[in-house]
Amino acid sequence: MNFSDNTDTSAEAAPTRAVSIPVLAREAGVPFQPMLDSASGVDPIAEWLSLMEVVQMLCPVWPVRDTPMQGKNWRI
Amino acid sequence: MFARNGTQPALIGGLAVVAHQVVRATQDVDFLLEAEAADQVHGALLNLGYQCLYRSEDAANYVRAAEGLDLLYAHRPLARRLLAQASERDTPMGRMRIISVEGLIGFKLQGYVNDATRTRDLDDIRALLKIHRTSLNMDELREYFALFNQPELLHELLG
Repeated sequence: MNFSDNTDTSAEAAPTRAVSIPVLAREAGVPFQPMLDSASGVDPIAEWLSLMEVVQMLCPVWPVRDTPMQGKNWRI
Repeated sequence: MFARNGTQPALIGGLAVVAHQVVRATQDVDFLLEAEAADQVHGALLNLGYQCLYRSEDAANYVRAAEGLDLLYAHRPLARRLLAQASERDTPMGRMRIISVEGLIGFKLQGYVNDATRTRDLDDIRALLKIHRTSLNMDELREYFALFNQPELLHELLG
């Protein structure tokens, strides 16, 4: 997932800070939907793989779901 | 594995939601599969070390360590049509068939109707409606919501 903001206006003035900019800055607390289509060149599954790397770093062991798919309304 | 067993399933569930541009964390992989291939795929999955948690004529759940694999079997005409119409796409995980957005919403609705605690299904439907609203086949969607006697829920989710 690309968390960086491409509008880098501070890179020249503060090069050391620019290195630390790609930190959830664009999404923080703000609803954000990246453009994910062939025109943007961003593949949503590549984004998901990237997201899952972060998730697994934060939560290395996921609970294993042990409840089966339930219900009697199978109509499709 | 699927190809070796002569079947071409389509991605449904959370990973299909991702493929349709709603990127969220999910670990399980769900496929829609021809019902006729169920026994053969079941055997192949057991040989690969998966444990079968549950299996019925409609669905099956497997786990291997922390990996979850869910299968829905297409044996009704609607599911067979959705499976046949699934589009192929190159992904970082290889070439995959992916169910349409409308079909995915239909399966998410089916999951929610079967188990109302699955509120994530509703969140997924809401997000898919929001992103694809202008391009969705609304007649097809109305058909799914009518099938589960939930026409008002579609209005609510679109609202």
